[in-house]
Amino acid sequence: MTTIILLSTLALLSLGLSAFLLLKEYQSKGVVQKREQDISRRMYELAILKELGDRVGYSLDVQQIVDIITSSLHQFIEYAAVSYMLLEPEKVVFKMHLERSVHRRFVVDVRDRMLSSLGALLDREFKKDSVKELLSGAILIEDLDEPVQSFFNIPLVIADKVVGILTVADTKAGLYKEEEMTILYKLIQQASKAVTRLQEVVKTEQEKVSAMVESMEDGVVMTDADYRILVINPAAKRVIGQEKKTEITIFDFIDNLGGKMDIRGRLEESVKLKKAYVSERFEIRDKFYQSFVFPVKTSSPLNAEGVLGGVVIFHDVTREVELERVREDFTSMIVHELRTPLSGIQKASELLKKPGKKAGSTPKQYIDIIYQNSSGMLDLVNDILDAAKLQAGKFEISREPADIADVIDNRIAFFNLSAADRKIGLTASIADTVPKTVPFDVQRIKQVLNNLISNALKFTAEGGTLSIAACMHEPGALVNASIKKMKVSLPDVLPEERMATLPRSLVVAVSDTGMGISSEHLPELFSKFKQLDSKALVPNIKGTGLGLAIAKGIIEGHGGIIGVVSKVGVGSTFYFTLPVVQTSP
Amino acid sequence: MKNVLILDDDAAFIDTMKASIDTTQYTVVSAGNGEEGLKKLEDFKPDIILLDILMPKMDGIEFLKKLNEKYGEGKTPVLITSNSSSLEKISEGVSLGICGYVVKSNESLQSIVDIIDKTLVK
Repeated sequence: MTTIILLSTLALLSLGLSAFLLLKEYQSKGVVQKREQDISRRMYELAILKELGDRVGYSLDVQQIVDIITSSLHQFIEYAAVSYMLLEPEKVVFKMHLERSVHRRFVVDVRDRMLSSLGALLDREFKKDSVKELLSGAILIEDLDEPVQSFFNIPLVIADKVVGILTVADTKAGLYKEEEMTILYKLIQQASKAVTRLQEVVKTEQEKVSAMVESMEDGVVMTDADYRILVINPAAKRVIGQEKKTEITIFDFIDNLGGKMDIRGRLEESVKLKKAYVSERFEIRDKFYQSFVFPVKTSSPLNAEGVLGGVVIFHDVTREVELERVREDFTSMIVHELRTPLSGIQKASELLKKPGKKAGSTPKQYIDIIYQNSSGMLDLVNDILDAAKLQAGKFEISREPADIADVIDNRIAFFNLSAADRKIGLTASIADTVPKTVPFDVQRIKQVLNNLISNALKFTAEGGTLSIAACMHEPGALVNASIKKMKVSLPDVLPEERMATLPRSLVVAVSDTGMGISSEHLPELFSKFKQLDSKALVPNIKGTGLGLAIAKGIIEGHGGIIGVVSKVGVGSTFYFTLPVVQTSP
Repeated sequence: MKNVLILDDDAAFIDTMKASIDTTQYTVVSAGNGEEGLKKLEDFKPDIILLDILMPKMDGIEFLKKLNEKYGEGKTPVLITSNSSSLEKISEGVSLGICGYVVKSNESLQSIVDIIDKTLVK
């Protein structure tokens, strides 16, 4: 009996034990399963994010991104249909992917619910006819009239703005618990964060690019393949004189380019042949341009061959054209000035070789021509050399203490004869304040005086006077006052504002009673390339006009200034200053 | 006797031309600029004018225009004798009906005289 009890107790015990073990095993299996689920969810989450990264690349296309999410969502969440709605400017895109067949009413129900959720989120009313519907996946079956029992919405937010919603729905009830939804939330959040960041990067880059395009001096116009203008900068508007107009079309260009450049044809050619085009120079509204036309290719790897449109760049070459013209004019002027004395020498020697038919002409006459012309040409060659040195910055000044009164007296003696020939009075006055010695390059200052005096002689009519005055400029004092003290009268006062900033300087003024120079020509006088216009300036004088440009270089090399004041009909004063204390220019 | 008018501000050119032109066939009168040249036209009727371009007061082109205005284009043969070879000036001269254009330094006195002879024989 005892045995039986024992046995049965044992049996019971073992039963209980095995039941316990069984239960235990069952429980641990559940834990493992749960863990496996967790791991697979996390794997899925990672996989989705990786896929997102890989497939989307740097895409900013929200629909594409949502498509990627929805296409693999069923691996993780159970649903009959996954759908999304995205806001577009004119409509709402509604796309539903069916995992299982449902009734048409199911689709309509989900759509209406989503539309009202979207409306609630955005506080806006959406009309049903503004929805563009796209269905994919399983087919609709009329017999399966099961209503929507489970339904879950997640708003799609990019840069803090709701752009749409994502929804899962099923005919079975109670499907969507917190756990699944948290993960879905996380996923959508991460995708939206990535897009938001990317958008920010693109926005700052776009801002940089547009700021660059806006501030470019060249005109830039970009059009799409249908010649609609996508980008235009203020410089491009200036090219066609439409600065004020906000909406510029290709026709504004066609009208205003006036056949100078076939913008449409060039764009078409460039886009079709995918080739760049560089135009010849053309002139519009008094400016010269060269234009460049380029096709704009897409950078997307999916559409490597695609051309988005074209870009036209208008490069302003007005300055280059002007400089070229000035250089050409200058060259032809120099050629003319060199040929004239040479041709005289040639003709005179021709006559020396074979005497002419004119009775009474002597060889001395022709030798005089040869002598004068060759001297003139030497001066010219020296001027050209000096001008070239100045331009190359190789003009050297060697200063040594010298007496300006001596130099002026020496020049007066030199010019006295020719002045007397033309009955022009030539006088000099040196103020008592002028120091005995001032550091300057005697030969170069003689050259400046030669130039100023010979010019003044040329422009002064017979019986006129030419006076040279030297005085001091003291900082803080008025130079015209010290000239007045010398009892010298100039045709016009010297400009105090130019003198004001100068250190203590010697001032030399060469005045004439000539015809004067009108104020619009004054600034051009010292410019090396302006002398061709000097014909208009001084109708009866020829020459290269290099002299004043060289004088300017010499004076500036001393750290001084040179200038002119003039009154038409009264006369002109050319003045220059030399700093008394040696300064580097 | 034929009349030759030389307009040039280069005295050496005028002197050497005058020495080369046969005075038994031609009478030569000269002026240093266009303005003086126009005055000379009043009582000296030239059969040919040698005209420099770059001259003070009134340049060669201006003189040509005035000449055409007063006496009609192409009435008096004009040979431009300049040291400038600017295409612009040449074409401007041609449009004003000149009979020739020579660069002085490219010609000898004799070759210029030959041109005068040929032009006036025609």
